[in-house]
Amino acid sequence: MDRGFLSNIELKTFKGRIYYALAVGFLLILALIVIFPFVYAFTSGLKGSIEIFKSGLNIIPRKAQWHNYSQAWESFKMLKLFRNSFIIVIGSVLLRMTVSVMAAFSLSHLRPFGRQLVMMAFLLTLMIPSIAYLVPLFVTLGNLPIIHKSILDSYWGLWLPYAADAFAIFVLKSFFDRIPSDITDSAKIDGASSFQTLVYIILPLSRSIIIILSILSFMNIWKDFLLPYLVISDPERQPITVRLFYVAKDYGVNVQMAAAFMALLPPLLIAILMQRYLKAGLTMGSIKG
Amino acid sequence: MKITYPLHATHFVDRSFSGLAYRLSRHITGYLFLIPAIIVFGLVAWYPIVRAFQMSFQEVSLLGESKNVGFENYELIEKDPARKVLFENSLEFASWSILLGYAVPVVVAILVREMRFGKGFFRIVYFLPSVVPVSIAVIVWRFIYDPDAGVLNELLKLFGIKGQLWLYDVKLAKPSIVAVMTWGTFGTTTLIYLSSLLDIPTELYEAAELDGASPLMRIRHITLPHLAPVMSLLFVIQILAVVQVFTEPYLFTKGGPGRETLTPVMHIYNRAFGRADMGYAAAWSVVLVIILMVFSSFYQLFNHRVAARQQN
Repeated sequence: MDRGFLSNIELKTFKGRIYYALAVGFLLILALIVIFPFVYAFTSGLKGSIEIFKSGLNIIPRKAQWHNYSQAWESFKMLKLFRNSFIIVIGSVLLRMTVSVMAAFSLSHLRPFGRQLVMMAFLLTLMIPSIAYLVPLFVTLGNLPIIHKSILDSYWGLWLPYAADAFAIFVLKSFFDRIPSDITDSAKIDGASSFQTLVYIILPLSRSIIIILSILSFMNIWKDFLLPYLVISDPERQPITVRLFYVAKDYGVNVQMAAAFMALLPPLLIAILMQRYLKAGLTMGSIKG
Repeated sequence: MKITYPLHATHFVDRSFSGLAYRLSRHITGYLFLIPAIIVFGLVAWYPIVRAFQMSFQEVSLLGESKNVGFENYELIEKDPARKVLFENSLEFASWSILLGYAVPVVVAILVREMRFGKGFFRIVYFLPSVVPVSIAVIVWRFIYDPDAGVLNELLKLFGIKGQLWLYDVKLAKPSIVAVMTWGTFGTTTLIYLSSLLDIPTELYEAAELDGASPLMRIRHITLPHLAPVMSLLFVIQILAVVQVFTEPYLFTKGGPGRETLTPVMHIYNRAFGRADMGYAAAWSVVLVIILMVFSSFYQLFNHRVAARQQN
């Protein structure tokens, strides 16, 4: 590894070694603090209902009560909660990517009349915080203009709001802009329609950016609380993030912890498995107001 | 890479692709591909944005007709006793969040950058809390903060410190919530700083070392100036985000104890969905957004001034 602000030779001196050991120590302690809630949820989920209230720093349970986990799984109906979350998130990501890819392709390669204006109108939504129009959004979803139907309490009420993401359009457009138009032109000469150009030329070339955006969207939508909390009031359809919080109070703390730990696993697993893509996407994705 | 065609070939391309019929069909297909996005944005963004302004001048009734009331909603905001509380709470939340969370990612990123092994390990570990849904984190954290059986008070007991009420304490409620928010977001910020640090050419450090600059001077004169633009941007983003916070205080304390953790967005939420006073809530959101925009443009103006002065 190349040097940082300290050179490798400086690190080998006595002072350098002390500094390095202190830095590693600090980072490891910080890592412990950061991971602690996960570990604490896991081990508290294994404790008995009396043991969990015992005083003293007993992180590790005396005897692991694995049945807490199966009890939590059963009584919170976690399978259904996970299923609801997945339906909401996967539907939203698919719709968002479809809508954004098509719009970005049009803005970047078909370049119709007035495209700058359309792009500005998309980007405007990034500048206005979503709280500004949360209330009218709720009213709109409850009474759609023209057709006068309510999509509150249906998954469309979440899929549609999540599908509008100017950031994805912006990133995809900048990526498509770098694909030379000679490639799309030659496809056109060979008789490909715009749709074929998009599917057979553009999409394969931009697979990586689409995967990155999909993962980022997946995590952000999975995490979201306020919108699903407002839109879906039917407990049978609520995602895990909304439902679990409200039913948790009715059970013992140890069962709560077991359920919380299980609910943490899917996003954690995805973050760890997909970290190769995340690394590239995060720096790009997080500077978003 | 730019592919160049022989002259006669581009001529052929130009002629067949520039006819009126071709251009017209290109604009039409262009808009065909834009239609889904335009419909979706219109429905869930543009129309609600316009409606927000409209509703702020109305007494909104969900069933019957809405009534125009002029500036009445805005006049009510001026009389709202919560106004002062919200302003103070936002200021305190922002201060706590800067105090507890602003410097941490910078320091951590500089330290991780210096690691010769295990960079990837730290990166992923610090990032993990960022993927955790707030509502699930709150279930775990409120037990950590529990005054009777929580691990935090047990830990304090080891050092002979009296247990605290944390979320139920007037003084500690805000910092306790901000600590959880910092836990959940500092990893992402660290990654942003880290990727900026990796852009610094190592030759700069080498040259500084040859000139006899101590490690601290290198940080002071190379690392920090390089990070300055990102730090300045993240400063304003962090303040904008924390003023708009809702989920953490809502789930932890519902705004309590008293009104200690009531935030502007929670106030809007309570008015709109608790009391069904949508027009008043819309007026509040318009006011909030204008304040935030004025703040960020003043901040940017100030920033430009400082940057311009430094260059002279």
